Amino acid sequence: MRNLINFFVRYSAWFVFVFYVVLSCILLFQKNPYQHHVYLTSAGAVTAAVYDVSSNVTGYINLRDINEDLQRRNATLEAEAVALHHQVRQLRQQLLQDSLRGLDTLGRFDFIIASVINNSVIHPYNYITLDKGRADGLKPDMGVMDQNGVVGVVNVVSERHSRVISLLNPNFRLLCKLRGNDAFGSLVWDGKTPSEAILEDLPKQVKFGEGDTIVTSGYSAMFPEGIPVGVIMGSTRGKDDNFNTLRIRLLTDFTTLSTVKVISNRDIADIQAAETDLH
Amino acid sequence: MTKEILKFALLFVVLVLCQVVVFNHICLFGVAIPLVFIYFIVKLPVTLGVNWLMTLAFLLGLTIDIFSNTQGMNALACTVLSVCRQPVLRLYVPRQDDLSNPEPSIRTLGLAVFMKYVLTMSVLYCILFFAIEAFAFFNPLQLLLRIVFSTILTFIIILAFDGFVTPRR
Repeated sequence: MRNLINFFVRYSAWFVFVFYVVLSCILLFQKNPYQHHVYLTSAGAVTAAVYDVSSNVTGYINLRDINEDLQRRNATLEAEAVALHHQVRQLRQQLLQDSLRGLDTLGRFDFIIASVINNSVIHPYNYITLDKGRADGLKPDMGVMDQNGVVGVVNVVSERHSRVISLLNPNFRLLCKLRGNDAFGSLVWDGKTPSEAILEDLPKQVKFGEGDTIVTSGYSAMFPEGIPVGVIMGSTRGKDDNFNTLRIRLLTDFTTLSTVKVISNRDIADIQAAETDLH
Repeated sequence: MTKEILKFALLFVVLVLCQVVVFNHICLFGVAIPLVFIYFIVKLPVTLGVNWLMTLAFLLGLTIDIFSNTQGMNALACTVLSVCRQPVLRLYVPRQDDLSNPEPSIRTLGLAVFMKYVLTMSVLYCILFFAIEAFAFFNPLQLLLRIVFSTILTFIIILAFDGFVTPRR
């Protein structure tokens, strides 16, 4: 017995070392980000508090760029609003004639405004921390966008904060399509630069040009259809002969994220119930 | 003794805050990332038992992981680095009993030896960290550039930080 205790004491360093290495490997190889415990992510109370304070200080730094983006977006939206008013007037007239009811597909989405308090673009798996949580109506799997385009999807939610899987994370794949065309492919980050990603599995027969816009497909409940994602830069040779692989310049500037919109889908419970019934 | 513990607890907190609030957002030329928090492992007294050394290093790595959402990468690299510390020190300081103060610093080791020691620790940590990171995307050229330039940046900032926190005589 004494020998055994002596043995453990003499080689205790090895046991401690193996214990810590195994512990960190368990964390490291827990690939699915939805299994991460909330206290081991940046949405935990202490970590989020630190980022709250630091974002209060650094939040002013990028305001000039963001303001410019907003002005530009505002201008396009205003133009769109004018066009839509015109269209609405026309449709109303038509409605009176046909006595038909227009469908309201966008009405089922609500937007929750949140501030980014921590953000990374330099790791292979990047995450964003927001200052809104369960108390503000956020739930896992909600889509996140900013004034320019898609940002990511909510992943871990605590009472007042949440962690978002950034688009710059290979765990997140987004179904996208060409604007004005229903053929879709899947967008994924290849880890090279924070401003570019790859659109995979676009069928070969689909025609595209450089500078065409890629938008969300609307096939998932996270994002409404037609939110801009990126612009085609060119094509790289696909692995498969029947599919094209395109290089995409992302419209969202992930290095200067500050205010984002979380998309809440009022019908999500219905859709999920219907989808689980199918399986 | 209590004063020492308080000093290192303060150093831990300051380094973690500096790393997550400032240095985590630095990425020079897309390759150089400063990993300054290993200064804590560099500064721990040489008389400290290896079990304590590993425990503190693991906790340091885990704290950084929680803040930067890297899930175990820094915890693993820090644990391995803490085990490598004693052999690295023995390489440059054969007889550690001669040290006047158990805490490695420019004064106790001399400028040249201290710089070699910090550089070796930075190289080791950058190799460990970026090799673990390369499980996600393997790109040999980028891996090499990241290791080399992050080491240089980490080394310079640690020396500057050391000059900043070490009291003048």
